[in-house]
Amino acid sequence: MGYLNNGVVTVDAILTKKGRELLARGDGSFKITQFALSDDEIDYTLYNPSHPSGSQYYGQAIENMPLLEAFPDETKSLKYKLATLPRGTSKLPLLEAGYASIVLKQGASLAITPQTLNYLGATSTFESGGYTATIADVRVLSSFTGVGINTEEAETLNSTQTIGTNVSKTVIGTSINLRATTVNTLFGTRTKLQTTIQIIGRDSGARVTIPITINKVNN
Amino acid sequence: MSYKRFDNEDVVVSAESVTAPCWSNNVVNLQVFELNSTQTAATSGKYYYNVYNTGSEVANTAIQFSIAHGNKLGLGAPLYDTSVTGKSYSSTVYGQFRTLIFGDEETNFTFTSGNTTRTPENVLFISVERARYKEKIFPGSLYLKITGSTGAPLHLVDNSLTSSTDTFVDSGRVYSIYSGSGPGGVTDSTVEYGKLFPDVGIIALDGDILSSSDVVAINGTASNWSTTVANNQFFKAIDTGSSFKLRSEETVSSNYVFIRARNAEFNYSNNPSNITGSGELRHSVMIDNPQSYLTAVGLYNDNNDLLAVAKLSTPLIKDFTKEALLRVKLDY
Repeated sequence: MGYLNNGVVTVDAILTKKGRELLARGDGSFKITQFALSDDEIDYTLYNPSHPSGSQYYGQAIENMPLLEAFPDETKSLKYKLATLPRGTSKLPLLEAGYASIVLKQGASLAITPQTLNYLGATSTFESGGYTATIADVRVLSSFTGVGINTEEAETLNSTQTIGTNVSKTVIGTSINLRATTVNTLFGTRTKLQTTIQIIGRDSGARVTIPITINKVNN
Repeated sequence: MSYKRFDNEDVVVSAESVTAPCWSNNVVNLQVFELNSTQTAATSGKYYYNVYNTGSEVANTAIQFSIAHGNKLGLGAPLYDTSVTGKSYSSTVYGQFRTLIFGDEETNFTFTSGNTTRTPENVLFISVERARYKEKIFPGSLYLKITGSTGAPLHLVDNSLTSSTDTFVDSGRVYSIYSGSGPGGVTDSTVEYGKLFPDVGIIALDGDILSSSDVVAINGTASNWSTTVANNQFFKAIDTGSSFKLRSEETVSSNYVFIRARNAEFNYSNNPSNITGSGELRHSVMIDNPQSYLTAVGLYNDNNDLLAVAKLSTPLIKDFTKEALLRVKLDY
């Protein structure tokens, strides 16, 4: 006779940079109300349905792997979220922004209206919670806003100014508007600037990362 | 859906009392005491001496506690102004601790011997470094051996474990210090040698009685004290005794968050290695029996801001036949 293991797994959490910021703000925005799970670091190509020893061994190469500690940067954690979907689902939500890559001339504008594919039984849908868009280097855009979501958080993010430094900026909306910079000095001797924009479905967790190139036109 | 809201009972706030040795590197019994000659020679040295765990030339040396001599009449120390009597370094120290501990300028430090209450002119203070005692000194953990040049050594302990009631002053709890055998073990409560104020990390010792018993070897009467001599001799008595035990206590508030993943939840993954370019599952066996490998938990607010992250040590397999219950601990 053996004892059943009825223990719970206990793990220690660390605050993210965002968590510290909101905790310091002290305005009640640091209130944990929901959770998500992810499988960051897992490479499913290691899953082997052809393992000669049977299904108990399909995940052998994954199940005992050591994991890295948590990162305090909220943009580097929970990248690939686990989703609750009906059994028998064969397609997972995908985010479609309409662009595999974006090339803009200096001063040119673009609106991105993402859609989520394979989500909630629809081939294509707009998520009601909107989309989070993060530009990795805010300097390459003279304006970067989200429209269509009117929550306080979305409005705060959209109105935040980040000037002069190579940092990211995040906005929320159902549509993301961006305009390339007109500042020549950013280019130096180069003829183009490159960065990425990451868009995440706030409901589905589906994400896409799109490279952006800004071509210099002014002399 | 990737986010799941907590029920009310899923988030629990817990406050735990954590005790540990006071001294650096979790040393239980501090046996080496060092001064810094630069500090003792500076102006601050006229008020107090910092006591270190190693010599100042050794890496990672740290202040463990400070000692100071107070005289309620301002004797034994140079006057700030020779035309104003009674105002000296020693009166400043006495007044400072009196105000801090009792909250008024009228109450003096008193100690008892049986039914007799003494009001010594000289009081020796030990102020434990804040980083050492953290939130408060753990009552019942004090053991200090002090040895004079000729007198018998004194083994000082607090009476918090044997006292039937807790006494409070303005700065919090106060316990008597008697002769004893080890932490909490009072063997003779005839003479009260001092008081422990655990909530502010201060020990006050009756300088007059320690002097008269030659434990802190200061020659002459109270009027012959000098602050420098007092601090030097007090330090020497501690250094010769070579044993100081004390524990810290702090309250750690933790958020415990219970993560409950039901059998039908979180079985699919958006991980790009799990799907093809069109979103189809990479492995067809996972269509009817999907498996995911949980590695991280994210805690969010209503705006989907990631506030905290917890990582597992190894992946936790999740499918339609398994439920996961995780307890995430978040300390502030």
